[in-house]
Amino acid sequence: MYYFIAAIAVVILVFLPRIGLLALFKDYRAAKEREQVEDALKHLLDRENQGRHATPESIAGTLDLSRDKVTRLIEKMEEQGLIESRGTDLSLTTSGERWALHVVRAHRLWERYLADEARMPLNRIHGEAQKREHSLTEAQLNELDAALGHPTRDPHGDPIPSREGKMNRAEGMPITAWQADRPARIVHLEDEPTLAYQQILAVGLRLGQDIRIIEKNQKRYILSDGESEYKLAPAVASNVYVAALPESEVLKREAIPLAELLQDQRAQIVTLDESVQGFTRRRFLDLGLTPGTTIYPELTNFFGEPRAYRVRGTSIALRNDQASQIWVKPI
Amino acid sequence: MENNITPYDIIAKAEALRNNLSTGFRDEIVKSIYSEAESIAQRAIKTASDKKYDLDQKIDRLVTSPWTGLPIMLILLGVIIWLTVSGANVVSEAIATVLFAVGDLGRNFFNSLGFIPWWVTGFIWDGVYLGLAWVISVMLPPMMIFFPAFTFLEDLGYLPRVAFNMDWLFKKAGAHGKQSLTMAMGFGCNAAGVVATRVIDSPRERLIAILTNNFVPCNGRFPTLIMLATVFVASAFPAALTSFVAAGTVVGVVLIGVAFTFLMSWLLSRTVLKGEASAFTLELPPYRKPNIGRILYTSIIDRTIFVLWRAMQTAAPAGAIIWILANIPYGDVNLARAIADWLNPFGLLLGLDGVILLAYIIAIPANEIVVPTMMMVYMGAGMMIDGPSSSGAIFDLLVNGNGWTMLTAVNLMLFALLHNPCATTVITIYKETKSWKWATVSVVITLGTAFLVTFLTASIARLFGWV
Repeated sequence: MYYFIAAIAVVILVFLPRIGLLALFKDYRAAKEREQVEDALKHLLDRENQGRHATPESIAGTLDLSRDKVTRLIEKMEEQGLIESRGTDLSLTTSGERWALHVVRAHRLWERYLADEARMPLNRIHGEAQKREHSLTEAQLNELDAALGHPTRDPHGDPIPSREGKMNRAEGMPITAWQADRPARIVHLEDEPTLAYQQILAVGLRLGQDIRIIEKNQKRYILSDGESEYKLAPAVASNVYVAALPESEVLKREAIPLAELLQDQRAQIVTLDESVQGFTRRRFLDLGLTPGTTIYPELTNFFGEPRAYRVRGTSIALRNDQASQIWVKPI
Repeated sequence: MENNITPYDIIAKAEALRNNLSTGFRDEIVKSIYSEAESIAQRAIKTASDKKYDLDQKIDRLVTSPWTGLPIMLILLGVIIWLTVSGANVVSEAIATVLFAVGDLGRNFFNSLGFIPWWVTGFIWDGVYLGLAWVISVMLPPMMIFFPAFTFLEDLGYLPRVAFNMDWLFKKAGAHGKQSLTMAMGFGCNAAGVVATRVIDSPRERLIAILTNNFVPCNGRFPTLIMLATVFVASAFPAALTSFVAAGTVVGVVLIGVAFTFLMSWLLSRTVLKGEASAFTLELPPYRKPNIGRILYTSIIDRTIFVLWRAMQTAAPAGAIIWILANIPYGDVNLARAIADWLNPFGLLLGLDGVILLAYIIAIPANEIVVPTMMMVYMGAGMMIDGPSSSGAIFDLLVNGNGWTMLTAVNLMLFALLHNPCATTVITIYKETKSWKWATVSVVITLGTAFLVTFLTASIARLFGWV
């Protein structure tokens, strides 16, 4: 009798629709398969952007799958009309490309969200977005896009495809190809391979930073932003993409960070740093820290920070990290 | 021709135009709003003289300078705690007298009816009602003193200056300066402190403030600390100084709690809540003359009644459970004593005893009933009782009657400071974070710390042969 009840319980546990073990396992398998398909699509799109074709080997390498599994994956994707193969060369069909752009868009919007709104450290957003990019529908993605204010670039400077699936190419060139005496702005930090990216972050380089090449030879690159120097191996440096400075930079050239202002020294806000985006920027603007506003430090904590600044008749305390992101001109 | 424009054309046009927008267009919008507001303000507002501003400046220099700022902070903390402790004592006794008299009336009435069995009378009046009466009389008075005092400082504009002073320490711990405000609120009630973390606008720092708020002892835990301070510390001082010594000891324990807050915040921000301290902005409003009406309203209605109501909901069932444990016989003793004996080895390992652990398990709904529950078990009573009236008699009961040592007193203070949040606080943490995971984490880290610290002090004390 008891065995019978136990047996029935086990059967129910396993075969119950939707929440039974078997159903859960099927869901898991389906999600896993979708992830693999989408990762493969992204890889193909990436390759096509570089003007190369993907091959079964390259997929196996990127997705870390065995050859057998890759072969099966490719067969299935061909059946679904996502890819076409010519010999070992694989290319995306129109519907495959649309789907791939959807995943890329999801990935980059997630990165934007994690960096600006959740304020997650930059070295963690790629991994997190990698996990989350598979779970949003087109409609949800459009909502996320709108909530973020239709950003055009992810925090690494890569373009975010529009909802129609258009993508502007990343501008700029590797710093290894840049003319040595021209000042440049970092427009993109290549986040793959991860090791090189981690190293770039570790020396302290960040997106939007203005730099100059001080020294370059076959062993190393030395870059400077006017304050500190950054040393990189050429292989790593080639993952740093730069472009010419925008004109608004001229403003910043003559300005100093708010944090360096002396007690009671009056100044005018010139601009907020480009690296401040999303939540923090809105916060600054809401507090009235808009360009043209008069500001001066009126109170300093006995350990140097935070400092309270008088702006628009109120006193606002900022840590030096924040105050360094606001550029001012003493008056 | 115009009629041929479809919604899709408009969307396409908007899409095309959007790409041409400079990235700073949002800044421009805010800038124009501000300049519009400025021009309106210029026409509508007359600025008074700068005298008020100069005075504010002088006060600011005073309360934020290293030589006067920190002492002012500590003195204010001490004064508020002393006011709460000594003032509440008198009111508590008055309320208790009235409520317990009502209990006696009710019990007598039930008895006079004749047909109600003793256990129904006992369960209702010595269990549920007594639990409620106890929590109200112990909890209400300190809150009615603490919350208005806290709200007074808040209304005055002083509290943001505390956050300003303390921020460097919080920054080192990877937390937010406004956490000092939520900690101060925690003295009144940790549940209220958890709700107060809403002022911290970044999720990571807010979670740190929520998870560590419990290391600040709320005034429901003060009775335990005060009883210990009076019986074991203040008894060595002249009678006139008792309340100051007791308040001083409590302040000392509070500072240990603050140290643990920083330690735990630092650990959290380097492990599970990894990340850099994000955007810190803190407004220092001008000083204002406090508005007494608003202070009373906010502190009594929004804070005191809110907290009391939640505590009463949990105190009634706790009272019922205590009565049941005390009145079900188990061999020669009652169930409470039996469980305490069973817990005793574990309690001794932590430098406590089984009765204390039992009292803390029962007091999960509300910490106010820890002392009466302990007294009940020690004295073998059938309901919560006050214990002996003089501190000498309490000392005698605990040390000579039940084997307490100085280690027990010290470890109980530490345990009272560090142990798990009360049920109300845990539920509040769940409501604020919308996650059972974080509610569980808050229990695990506090209880874990309490066990670890008391175990270490007990082991060290025994190793050196102090007890």
